[in-house]
Amino acid sequence: MPGADKEADLTERIEAFLADLKRGGCGTGPIRGSGETARETTALLRKVTAQARWSSAGDLMEIIRKEGRRMTAAQPSETTVGNMVLRVLKIIREEYARSRGSSEETDQQESLHKLLTSGGLSEENFRQHFVHLKANVIEAINELLTELEGTTDNIAMQALEHIHSNEVIMTVGRSRTVEAFLKDAARKRKFHVIVAECAPFCQGHEMATNLSKASIETTVIADAAIFAVMSRVNKVIIGTQTVLANGGLRAVNGTHTVALAARHHSTPLIVCAPMFKLSPQVLYGQFLRPHGLVFALTCTILSKVNVHCPVFDYVPPELITLFISNIGGNAPSYIYRLMSELYHPEDHDL
Amino acid sequence: MSSRGGKQKKGNVTSEQEEEEQPLQAVLVADSFNRRFFPISKDQPRALLPLGNVAMIDYTLEFLTSTGVQETFVFCCWMSNKIKDHLLKSKWCRPTSPNVVHIITSDLYRSLGDVLRDVDAKNLVRNDFILVYGDVVSNIDVSQALQEHRHRRKVDKNISVMTMVFKESSPGHKTRCEEDDVIVAMDSKSKRVLHYQKTQGLKKLQFPMNIFQHGSDEFEIRHDLLDCHISICSPQVAELFTDNFDYQTRNDFVRGILVNEEILGNQIHLYVTQDGYGARVSNLQMYDSVSLDMVRRWVYPLTPEANFTDQQGQGCTHSRHNVYRGAEVSLGHGSQMEENVLIGRDTSIGANCHISNSVIGNNCTIGDNVVLDRAHMWNNVHVSSNVEIHQSVVCDGAVVKEAVRLNKQCVLAYNVVIGPNLSLPEGTVVSMHHPEEEEEDDDDEFLSDDQEVGHSKDKTRQKAFNPAEVGPEGKGYIWKASMNDTEDEELAQCLWGLVLNPDPESDSESEASEESQDRSRSVSPEIDDVNAFQLEVLGTLQRGLEENIVCDNLVLEINSLKYAYNITLKEVMQILTRVVLEYPFQQQGTQLTTLQYTGSLLPLLKTWSPVFKNYIKRAQDHLDCLSAVEELFLEQDTHQTAMVKVLMKMYQLEILEEEAILKWFSTGATNDKSRQLRKNQGVRRRVRRMSLRRKESAEDESSEEGECGRRGIKTEDLRTV
Repeated sequence: MPGADKEADLTERIEAFLADLKRGGCGTGPIRGSGETARETTALLRKVTAQARWSSAGDLMEIIRKEGRRMTAAQPSETTVGNMVLRVLKIIREEYARSRGSSEETDQQESLHKLLTSGGLSEENFRQHFVHLKANVIEAINELLTELEGTTDNIAMQALEHIHSNEVIMTVGRSRTVEAFLKDAARKRKFHVIVAECAPFCQGHEMATNLSKASIETTVIADAAIFAVMSRVNKVIIGTQTVLANGGLRAVNGTHTVALAARHHSTPLIVCAPMFKLSPQVLYGQFLRPHGLVFALTCTILSKVNVHCPVFDYVPPELITLFISNIGGNAPSYIYRLMSELYHPEDHDL
Repeated sequence: MSSRGGKQKKGNVTSEQEEEEQPLQAVLVADSFNRRFFPISKDQPRALLPLGNVAMIDYTLEFLTSTGVQETFVFCCWMSNKIKDHLLKSKWCRPTSPNVVHIITSDLYRSLGDVLRDVDAKNLVRNDFILVYGDVVSNIDVSQALQEHRHRRKVDKNISVMTMVFKESSPGHKTRCEEDDVIVAMDSKSKRVLHYQKTQGLKKLQFPMNIFQHGSDEFEIRHDLLDCHISICSPQVAELFTDNFDYQTRNDFVRGILVNEEILGNQIHLYVTQDGYGARVSNLQMYDSVSLDMVRRWVYPLTPEANFTDQQGQGCTHSRHNVYRGAEVSLGHGSQMEENVLIGRDTSIGANCHISNSVIGNNCTIGDNVVLDRAHMWNNVHVSSNVEIHQSVVCDGAVVKEAVRLNKQCVLAYNVVIGPNLSLPEGTVVSMHHPEEEEEDDDDEFLSDDQEVGHSKDKTRQKAFNPAEVGPEGKGYIWKASMNDTEDEELAQCLWGLVLNPDPESDSESEASEESQDRSRSVSPEIDDVNAFQLEVLGTLQRGLEENIVCDNLVLEINSLKYAYNITLKEVMQILTRVVLEYPFQQQGTQLTTLQYTGSLLPLLKTWSPVFKNYIKRAQDHLDCLSAVEELFLEQDTHQTAMVKVLMKMYQLEILEEEAILKWFSTGATNDKSRQLRKNQGVRRRVRRMSLRRKESAEDESSEEGECGRRGIKTEDLRTV
C-alpha cells in the first residue's frame, strides 16, 4: 500500500519537525535561524499538500490548519511557523479563486460595502473540485520557497543605500540578516560597527567575530554602555524576531534599551526584517520567557533566589524609523497594509 | 526503519554524522531497587510518580530522545504492568516516535547488576549505550560526552569502558544529594577517574598513594561534582557485570574497575558539564528541590508549558513569576499565587488563599483561606478551608479536612484522610498501609520492591484508625520506617533523606567508610545466598572429614563456593568460623555438655587450621574472626566457658595472633551481653596472662612510642582486673 506508506512517512516527518521545534532554542536541539525554520515549514506544508488525501480546497485548508495549529503550539515563541501556515492558506485561497475564474483584483480590493454585504468567500464555496488545483497550489508554494531563499540577499542588496562611508553603526546581539547587510555594505564602504554583547547569552560576541572576519572595524560593548555610546552613533541597525501587526517588534532582550537610547539621541533606528517575520498577532507589554541560567552564585543562596531571564523585548512602533524588508523600505505605520496583502483576514486566528 | 535512521541523522548533525550507521541505544532502569519511597511507591512505582504533573520516566525518555537516542530498553521490575501501561499510552510508543522503546519486564531483577547481566545475556546492545535510571531529570547535552567517549575508544582500543556525566555544583547546592556526595580524583588531562568515593559525611578522607604515582603530572581532586547518574557505557560494561556477579550497583562496578585497573586494564572517564541540569530524584528532599527547579525553569526546555509529552489537555500557560495555569483553572476572590506555582487542569481554588512554590495536580479542589508553601499535591486532592501545608507531599486522592496543619516534610500517601482540626508534627508519614503488615512481608521480600505487597491482607486485617493520629474523621496509619532496623538502614529508608550528620566515630579513617559500605552491601545481597553458602560449607567440611580430603582442596572448594554465591571475603570467614564452631552441635545434637563440646571441637580445629590460616591473614581478619566467635558464644549461653578453650586452641594453632585477641578484648564490648562474656572468669584470666607475658617481652625490647601507648591500655586492663 504505497498510499498508506506515504502517509506514515508524512506523519513521521511532521513529528520529527515538531520535536525539533520543541527542543529548538536551547542547547539540546539543532539551533537554526528563523529563515531556515520558514523554509522547512513551507517545504513540509508542500509535502502535506502533495501527499495528504484531499479532494477540494476546503479539505486541504482544514488539513493545513490542523497541522498548523499543532506546529504553532509546539513552539509558540517561534512565530515564523504560524506565518508560513497563513501564507500557504492564502495561496490556496488565491489558487481556488483563480481556478473558479473570478479575477484576483476583485478579491484583493474589498470595499467597505463589499465587506458588509458579502462577508467574503464562505467555506461551502471551497467544495468545488478542480483537477489542476493541486499542481497549481504546489507551484505557488514553490514560488514562495524561492522567495524565501532570496530574502537575505534582497535585504543585503539595499545596504549601500543606507550605510555611508565613515559612519558609526550600532547593532545588538546577533542577526543573520543584519550580518549579511553589513557585510554587503563593507564591500564598498568603510564604516565602524559597535555591537552590544547582549548578555547573558552574549550572541554579540559571535556577531563581532564574524564581522571582524569580514574586515569590518568592530567594537563590542557591554549592554550597560549602550546609552553612553549612543551619542557617537549615526545609525542603529537591528534585526528582530517578529514584526507585529502594529509595526512594533518582538526582538531580543536589550533591543528596547537600544531603541529608547536612539530616540533620546534622535538616532535613526533601522530594522532589517524579511517579510516572513510579519505576524498578524498584536502583543502589548512585555513578553517573558525566562530561561534557566547558571550563575556563579554561592550555591547555598541559590535556593532562595529566583532567576528570571526574559528573552524578548517588545519595542513599540513609535521608536522605529524604518523597516527594510526584502521588498524594500517601509515605515512602521505601513506594516498593517503589508500584512493584509500577505495574509487573508479570515485566517488570522488559526 | 532504515528511512527513519536516515532522517534522524539529518536532524542531529552534531552528534551522528561522522559516526557509524549504528543507532544510539540506551538502557533505562525503571526501578530503584530500594524502598526509599515507601509507602508511596507501594501503590505506584517510583518512575511514574508525577513531577510537575508529568511522570518522572517521561522526563528521562525525553532527555534520551533529545540527545538522539533511537532505541531505548526500559527495564521494569516493581509494578512493571503499570509502567508498561503508561508507556504504551504515551507518545513514546507511537509508531512515529524517533525513539523506539522496548519494554523488558522481569520479577527477577534485584539490582542494576541483574539488569545489565540480562542486557548481556540477551545481547541487546551492539554499541556504546547510555545508562540511566527512570527518575533522572536532565537537559544535559551529552552528545559531546558521547563524542569524547567514542574518540577515546577509538584511540586507545577499548580501554575506557565508561564515561560518567557530572555536573558542576559546589557543596551546599540544594540539588546535591547528601547521600550521593562524592569525591573524585581525576587526571586533569585525560579526564580519567583515579579514585571515586562517597564521602558519607566523613571529615577526613584517604586516597591511596599509588593513584598519584603513575600517569600524568596533573591531578584534580574535586568535591564540587554532582553525579547525574547518567553514564555512557560500552558493551563491555554489560560483559563485566556478567563476569563479576558480585557487582550489584554502579558503585560496585566503578570501585571494582578502579581497584582492578592494573589487572583488567579498564578505565573510567568522566565528563563535567557546567551548564545544563541533571539530577536523580533519589529521595523526597530531592523530589522537592527538583520539582521547584523545574517550575523555576532550570530544566528548560522541559518546562511545564512545553507539554513535551504531547498529551491532550496537559498544556498550560505561563505568566510572570513563574505561575503556570492549566485549562479550566478557577481561582477564588483574593487568592494569590505568589511565585513558582503550577496548577493542573480543572483545579479550583477558593478565596483568600496564599500559594507559593507549589505544584498542584489535576482535578484538585482547594477551599478558602488555605496557605500552601512548597506543597506538592498530586491529582484529585481535596483540601478544605483554613488548611496550612508546608513542604509536604500529598498523593493522589488524599483528603485534608478543615483546619489541618501539615508541618514540614509530611507525607500523605494515596487516599488518606486527615482531620479535621489537627496539626501533624514534622516528618509524619500517613499511609493506608499498616506498618505491621509491612514487617511480615519483610521476610520473604529481601529489600527489593518486587512482589505484590499484601493487597489482599489489607482488606482482611482492617484495623481501626487512631483518631489521635489522623483526626476524628481520618483514615490512615502513621507509617514508621521499619522500626527494628539499625540506624544505618533507617537512614537509607528515610523518605526525605535528611542531612547526614557526620558520624563522630567515623571521621578517623576512610577504612571506616569502606566498612560501612561493606555493611550496607552485606544487607543487600539476598539472605538466601548466605544461608545456602553456609550449608554448602558445612557439607564440604563434612565430606572433607569423612573422605579425608587435604585442606588445600577444601580451600579450593570454599573459594569456588564464594564466587558461586557472591559472598565477600569477610563473610566467608565469619561463616566458616561459625560452621566449624557449630559443627559438634550439628553432629551430636544441641544437648552436649560443655566438656563434650570442647572435646569434639578441639581436634576439629586442629584438622582445619590450614583452612583458617588461608582466610585469616590481615589484622582486620583476626578481629572479624573473633567477632564471629563472640557472636556464636553469645547465642550459646551455656557454653560460654568453652570459649576460653577455643580461643586458646586457636592461639596455639597460630590461627589467631595474641595481639588481635588483646585488641578485641580491650575494644570490642558493644553491649551488655558481650561485656558479661568478657567478664567471664576464664576469658579474663587467659587474656590477662597473655597481656602479662606480652608486657614482659615488650619491656625487653626497646620501647617505641606506639608500643608505649598500647601498653598503657594493657596496664589499665590489669588494674580493672
